[in-house]
Amino acid sequence: MNKLEFFRRLAEILNVEEVTEGNVLKDFDEWDSLSVLSVLAMADAKYGVVIHADEIRSVVKAADLAELVEAKQK
Amino acid sequence: MNFKFRRKRISGILTVLPAREQSFVEDMRNFKFSEARSLKLKEVMGYDKHRIVEPGTCVSDLAVAGMEHLFKNGLLHPDEFDALILITQSPDYFMPPTSNVIQGRLNLKHDLLCLDINQGCAGFVIGMIQALSLLEQESINRVVIINADVLSRKTSPKDRNSYPLIGDGASITVVERDTEDSVIHANLKMDGTRSNVLMIPAGGLRQPSSLETALLEDVGDNNLRARDHLHMDGSAVFNFVQMEVPPLIENLLKHAGATMNGVDYFFCHQPNRFMLQKLADKMKVPYAKMPSNVVEHFGNSSGVTIPTAIAFNLQEPLLQKKLRVCLAGFGVGLTWCAMLLDLGPLNFNTIIEY
Repeated sequence: MNKLEFFRRLAEILNVEEVTEGNVLKDFDEWDSLSVLSVLAMADAKYGVVIHADEIRSVVKAADLAELVEAKQK
Repeated sequence: MNFKFRRKRISGILTVLPAREQSFVEDMRNFKFSEARSLKLKEVMGYDKHRIVEPGTCVSDLAVAGMEHLFKNGLLHPDEFDALILITQSPDYFMPPTSNVIQGRLNLKHDLLCLDINQGCAGFVIGMIQALSLLEQESINRVVIINADVLSRKTSPKDRNSYPLIGDGASITVVERDTEDSVIHANLKMDGTRSNVLMIPAGGLRQPSSLETALLEDVGDNNLRARDHLHMDGSAVFNFVQMEVPPLIENLLKHAGATMNGVDYFFCHQPNRFMLQKLADKMKVPYAKMPSNVVEHFGNSSGVTIPTAIAFNLQEPLLQKKLRVCLAGFGVGLTWCAMLLDLGPLNFNTIIEY
């Protein structure tokens, strides 16, 4: 998985310029149920993995989210 | 599981929608969200306006209005159908069946099988499977399927997850024997272990309605709803649809010996535009062949969305010609089912207001 590309997609969902791996997801204004849904749609469409909302909610940092998607791809 | 029916057809579809229209911008006043964030939701999901019944309006009111319209316009004769199937999750009463209430209000004959089915977003296809099975009986020549729900009455206006998409309505579908050698294929699956994904927790006997179950509770994400209200786990529903529906349709087509390209239109249940476009992407179906415009105009009225989509998008063409369509319903139960059939030319295919 190209992590930079993943962060770019995440930035688009969160409506910000840039997301880096250390960013805490909860700190983004737009990190809500709509963004969570958008993330799982993105994971499904772009990476072919099904992640559950509960799994996303337990994730703290952007890097953890990338790892969650990557782990499911294996 | 697979179903196959021969020599049967849909002869007409009528949809009854409440005249009262509410806009998303009006709904927004009840949400505890910034305006910008609510407008983003509107844009992403494709919310705009929805049809909501006036306080006190029940399923039988919409159904009776639709049936009377058909009788008055000579589109259906009161004595010329032998079963009336009502599919609803918001009946007038626990008992008696609302189908009998409708029978009584219309003074229909006694030689009539009235049947309530508790089904939701898959209810159009479930009703069809039931009607087509009944038509195997010699004594049953024509079946009226009524899909109807007034779930806005069970949805919290302060629940941004459900309220902006919910719509009310009823549809009447007439199914009868076909003189042509037509074949209808269907495929159905259910999974009761996920029955809590879409539910109204209180109001049945497991948790009777009380003052307590009517209290609005903060359910996270700034949404408020009571246990008497409809609860939808939106992201679980999303995953369910993306995971289960594409293989369902694939299997249906395979079983029927048909191909994606041979289908003129895919009429899916309409949860919202977002979910349907993701589904179309996954199935590699062009958006033009899978309409997703019902929720933005009328709201998601459960089993009524498929007939609404048919009338709204193909009203005239289906009065003139025959099209190969694939129907797919998915939701409460959980239930997912699809049907492949030739639709049209129909005797009627309209939307009226109540």
